Amino acid sequence: MVTFDYLEPKSLEEACALLNEHGDDARLIAGGTALIIMMRQRLLNPRVVISLTSIPNFDYITFDAKDGLRLGAGARHRDIELAKPVHEHYPLLHETFRKVAQPRIRNMGTIGGNLVQGDPLTDPGASLIALDAEVTLKNAGGQRVIPVEKFFVDYYQTDLQPGEILTEIHVPPSPPGLAWAHIKFLPRSLEDFATVGVALTMRLGGDRCEDIRLAFNSVAPIIMRAKRAEEVLRGQKIDDDRVGKMAEVASTEVDPMDDNRGSAEYKRELVRVLVRRAVNQALDRASAAKPSGRQAPAPA
Amino acid sequence: MKRHQALNVNGEEYDIEIEPNRLLLHALRDDIGLTGTKEGCSIGVCGACSVIVGGRLVSSCLTLAVACQGKEITTIEGLAKDGKLHPLQQAFLEYGGFQCGICTPGQIIAAKALLDSNPHPTEEEIKEWMSGNLCRCTGYYKIFESIMAVVQNKVRAEDLTARERREARIQSLGVYKSSS
Repeated sequence: MVTFDYLEPKSLEEACALLNEHGDDARLIAGGTALIIMMRQRLLNPRVVISLTSIPNFDYITFDAKDGLRLGAGARHRDIELAKPVHEHYPLLHETFRKVAQPRIRNMGTIGGNLVQGDPLTDPGASLIALDAEVTLKNAGGQRVIPVEKFFVDYYQTDLQPGEILTEIHVPPSPPGLAWAHIKFLPRSLEDFATVGVALTMRLGGDRCEDIRLAFNSVAPIIMRAKRAEEVLRGQKIDDDRVGKMAEVASTEVDPMDDNRGSAEYKRELVRVLVRRAVNQALDRASAAKPSGRQAPAPA
Repeated sequence: MKRHQALNVNGEEYDIEIEPNRLLLHALRDDIGLTGTKEGCSIGVCGACSVIVGGRLVSSCLTLAVACQGKEITTIEGLAKDGKLHPLQQAFLEYGGFQCGICTPGQIIAAKALLDSNPHPTEEEIKEWMSGNLCRCTGYYKIFESIMAVVQNKVRAEDLTARERREARIQSLGVYKSSS
């Protein structure tokens, strides 16, 4: 493996200062599941590795009904999967995180590390986009907050600037009755990356789709939101024709490549199928959650 | 630059001198001499190098030894106590939970981590958890049965030493008498 010096700052301020001091020679490490593989394969050759694991309270998971969910960037996939507020208020996130790799890797990898790697094959980004999440990026001088959908720039490239550290993920409160679906279509066994990943949320009003967010992983250089496809359904009555049209548009909006999980054409076809399947799952779930029989009395 | 590193493995303190890029896997095997932990895929997929660090099951091939300062590390060598096998080890013996054996330390450590946090997992929970440990002999049914045997308390509870167990097993097979 490549050789490097290992630094363990005890605060975010100290970590930012070290990042500025070492510049391009430095890489941050948290869970290590991505960085260590890349260093072992000599894709990365940092002279300094700065660990974020000794920074106190960097892995918090907090929920507030008004503010939503806040995840410290050091929160591990497994802890997010098992966190009660995630399970209760963000079933889409619970479902997504329990599908990431397998439990041992979820025990190690952090959500911040996952996002900054910018790997389009990984799962969490699409569901965070579907839930309109944002990330906080901090440097020595201050911080900025941007939506997750703007964070992914290109293949393994994010909007993270030199000297910046991703510190927090914020997921706003979900409107009551938000319909959702997550599909991870796997080429082989459980621990592989998705051939196609779909995350969908819909705000329903009767048989109409008031609002929709549709995101994909594994079908473009970035984890992407399919805005043109969303437009087909937003504000419209949901029927087979329209959903079929949305699936069609989505299949042209994605930009997959051939790899050992399938050809680009196969993945486009899968998108066409999985979008319809995701809408059906979301609608089924929403109608199962509704109280049967008479409607709840209107608030006084 | 080499540095002194204290590692707490199976309750023992080891003081080793390593580069910061030393992986926990290689520190365990080559610096400390605990070769029960195996290297398989080297990219965190196969589970052969599974160890427990600070209560969490991890891949030691993706863990820097310098990041384990002050944490309790459990390897396969830490399971048997006073010459007596851990129930999981006993179960893998009795239920044929291994074939070639190279994935076995990882399988047993992974199962231990599961039972430590969830002593009565469902069949589904066992299968999901163990999905991260590959067996190229494909002996998955027997591995699953071995773990289920512990969950269902089917493993013999006698506190025999390894030697006594071997004697008892040989006698029960009725093949031949042990000469010692």
